[in-house]
Amino acid sequence: MTEPLFLSHEALADLVAGLIAAGTAVIGPAPAGGPVIPGLEERQRPTVTGMYGTLEYREVRSADDLALGPGMPRLSLKQFFLPQNEALFAWKRRGAETEIHETPTTFNPRVVLGAKPCDVAALEIVDAVMNWEYHDELWNGRRAATTIFALACGVEDDHCFCPSVGVAPDTTKGADGLFTPVSGGFLVEATTDKGRVFLESYGAHFSAPPAGGTDEARAYREAAHGRVGANVQIDAVRVKDWIEHHFEDPFWATLGVRCNGCGACTMVCPTCHCFDIVDEEEGVGCGTRRRCWDTCQAGKFTLHASNHNPRADQIARYRQRINHKFAVYPVKFDEVLCTGCGRCVRTCQMGQNIGEILVAIDQYAQQTGEAPDTTDVAAPPAEVAP
Amino acid sequence: MRCSDEGRRGGVKELRDLARQLLADGTVDVVVGWEDSSRGARPIFAGTPEEADKLIFDTRCLHNLATYLNPRRKQVTDLGKLALVIKGCDAKAVAGLLREMQLDRERVVLIGVRCGGVCEDSMAPEPVALTPETVAPRCHGCDNREPHLVDHLLGEPRPEPPVPLLTLDERVAALDALTPAQLWEYWTAQFEKCVRCYACRQVCPMCVCERCVADKSRPQWIETASHPRGNFSWNVTRALHLAGRCVGCGECERFCPAGIPLAVLNRKLQRVVKERYDYRVADDPEVKTPIGDYRLDDQQEFIK
Amino acid sequence: MNIYQPQLATVTAVIDETVDTRTFRLEFRDEGFGREFSFRAGQFGEYSVFGAGESTFCIASPPTRGGYIECTVKAAGKVTAELRELNVGDTVGFRGPYGNWFPVDDWVGRDLVFIAGGIGLAPVRCVIWNVLDRRDEFGAVTIVYGARSVGDLVYKHELGEWAARDDVTLVTTVDPGGETPDWDGRVGFVPAVLGEVAPAAGNAVAVVCGPPVMIKFTFPVLEGLGFADDDVFTTLEMRMKCGVGKCGRCNIGSVYVCKDGPVFTATQVKAMPAEY
Repeated sequence: MTEPLFLSHEALADLVAGLIAAGTAVIGPAPAGGPVIPGLEERQRPTVTGMYGTLEYREVRSADDLALGPGMPRLSLKQFFLPQNEALFAWKRRGAETEIHETPTTFNPRVVLGAKPCDVAALEIVDAVMNWEYHDELWNGRRAATTIFALACGVEDDHCFCPSVGVAPDTTKGADGLFTPVSGGFLVEATTDKGRVFLESYGAHFSAPPAGGTDEARAYREAAHGRVGANVQIDAVRVKDWIEHHFEDPFWATLGVRCNGCGACTMVCPTCHCFDIVDEEEGVGCGTRRRCWDTCQAGKFTLHASNHNPRADQIARYRQRINHKFAVYPVKFDEVLCTGCGRCVRTCQMGQNIGEILVAIDQYAQQTGEAPDTTDVAAPPAEVAP
Repeated sequence: MRCSDEGRRGGVKELRDLARQLLADGTVDVVVGWEDSSRGARPIFAGTPEEADKLIFDTRCLHNLATYLNPRRKQVTDLGKLALVIKGCDAKAVAGLLREMQLDRERVVLIGVRCGGVCEDSMAPEPVALTPETVAPRCHGCDNREPHLVDHLLGEPRPEPPVPLLTLDERVAALDALTPAQLWEYWTAQFEKCVRCYACRQVCPMCVCERCVADKSRPQWIETASHPRGNFSWNVTRALHLAGRCVGCGECERFCPAGIPLAVLNRKLQRVVKERYDYRVADDPEVKTPIGDYRLDDQQEFIK
Repeated sequence: MNIYQPQLATVTAVIDETVDTRTFRLEFRDEGFGREFSFRAGQFGEYSVFGAGESTFCIASPPTRGGYIECTVKAAGKVTAELRELNVGDTVGFRGPYGNWFPVDDWVGRDLVFIAGGIGLAPVRCVIWNVLDRRDEFGAVTIVYGARSVGDLVYKHELGEWAARDDVTLVTTVDPGGETPDWDGRVGFVPAVLGEVAPAAGNAVAVVCGPPVMIKFTFPVLEGLGFADDDVFTTLEMRMKCGVGKCGRCNIGSVYVCKDGPVFTATQVKAMPAEY
């Protein structure tokens, strides 16, 4: 960590303006835009339910657009590194010849300001699979082109559980630096060379912290730790071990039967990265091969051409989600494929609560006896001191 | 769980008694209804008397539980004979499945509940009193607050839900007033957000096709990538496939993680079907839909 | 260039194996790439028909023969249906070689028993020729191959070559009801015929590939003959897209078939959750 610097709200506006003027896109949490029916502007409410907020990550035109405070953007940062649809290459047939048009793997520079630490940590977690022997240049290229400053989080609500999965409200995992809210602006620290270079390049906007600023920042972050410490707490290693050894447990059936297989949880999740690859013809003899988000919750995700489906019902598919995130990925990459952001819990309209499920598994893993029962209104377990 | 009187529905005790009875005498293997939980009101598959005692019914019970009658849901069909708690809109969906021969009437006991509207947030920690701000727009104009397709009917008659601040019909009317170019721009911008999770399809009780048109690859009718072209194709195709079948439960829009106003699109098609065929989906499986029926005096003036 | 972009290859030969199965011989357009290209028996590739998509097949030709690769394709879905329409001179894409391989070098000096059913002979054929091209290094070679009917047998010409060799024991069979009047091989399901042939376990290694039900019934026969699970190899198939361990679709528990496989020992298969 570098010594903290201070960025006032006014200086932030100048910084953002300067970045954009220099051709660097600025991405951050902003009020959800989205088309409004002309004529109903005053009366239209956001189409997203208030449950998980009306913010989204997007490219902003000025600091006025940035919403650097409480609120969880609806989708994670994933879309900027693994876009919901992305061209892999294009082809064109000319007679007997076929040409391939490559997709560039270098990208224009971008800066992310004020992202949720859980969303940023997710990027580093997914880096592992994207570089497992084969290097995904599209993912890596976007990562390389992006400088990320996370915003220390004040804890969204009781569905956050980042500490249980090795993340924290002020983690700098995956980030190049951290903003912490203080009076009049933010305290800013860099945690990587890229972050340090950024602070040096734009040093004119930063000043020494005001008196009491570092204390204020520390108090903010400690309060957040305290708040999230009162939420769901599990032992991720114990949960992993239970999942690995209880593949056939009847517990899975209780989860799978309520699930619709809608896949919304996987779409909003910052660490879910499963994708599909499809060819789309766009003319006679030409087209683009694309990859786009896919979901293990879909019936045809594992469907063989022979019509055999290893995961033939929602019980198997829901089990896969929990298994992949909390057992398979840790076994393979020593990381939990979850940052405890709680989006899946807030998004699932059928009431699947991953925090509740993990607590049930953890408790069951500690005892012998009946399968965990998640139809209870489970109270969060007793507080564990942070 | 403490509940406000305004949000509470009469009949919860009746519901629990009936559920316990149906389970105890072996009439059904599981009662599908709602329970209170860490996530507000959510579906429960009650197979024991203890679980039956968790059944609730209040303004947070938005889910159209008829979605669980999809014959392709093996994990539900494996449970055996069901009792299903249904509101009026849910009953219309059950009728639709019966009409389209996707459901064996013997398989399900229908427990109807009289409904005075629902709120927009199933996940509220307590039942929500209905006001113009809180009531779900889908409820406005409901003609089935007392479902007819039932084996049992519970609860006291409820008053009409309040008129929401902005109704679906007003949004449809505002869209109707746009020029084609504006309309194209609006819906293109909406469908660009689509991530092709198919949550809308998964939750819809009427989307029960064994092989959805979007999943067919030979031939490929709809491009699968979540690219604006394919997204437009998918969303419009689904709306067309629902014309004359959609029950207006609004769950598609609630489930959409991208916030696309699907209820408005489906409402528009409902209005078209009403104007063209003087037809509105009812919870009577004997009444045929315009698409599922042919009459010599069918309107034809729009066929040019 | 990114890892999802294929190499271009030209179809240089098309061989009809059965009514719905064809073998394609491919040569890389980029001669330099073709010269450098090497792989090991058991590895697979992602083969593209531009406009239809990609499909996963093992490389069916042996690594001992350079200059080309082969794949054997059964028309089952969109991509394979279009693959089946290709002619000599057409262009396909290829990404690979991916996955692990049969540890052929570890088998030097040992007897080998190859058991295959239907189109499952494709990956096994690759390692059979790999072994036959280095015949002196290995012990006895026994091949038990069967299909639903005579018409479903693949690589018929090569079956004849193997039968003609005196350093290979070939037993072919068809399922009861699949024989023709002039069929002179055995009649019976592959696991049963394997039991009749009863190759000695001794220092032998077994390679099994075929429909899941065949593998399921073959494992106990091998066990009964005294084969240790560590000496029994198979390849598993799953729906794949990226082939490089990233799209998250082919895992069986914590085993990614495209990266940790597709070649597995019976020990490894038995340790996997029953989700394949």
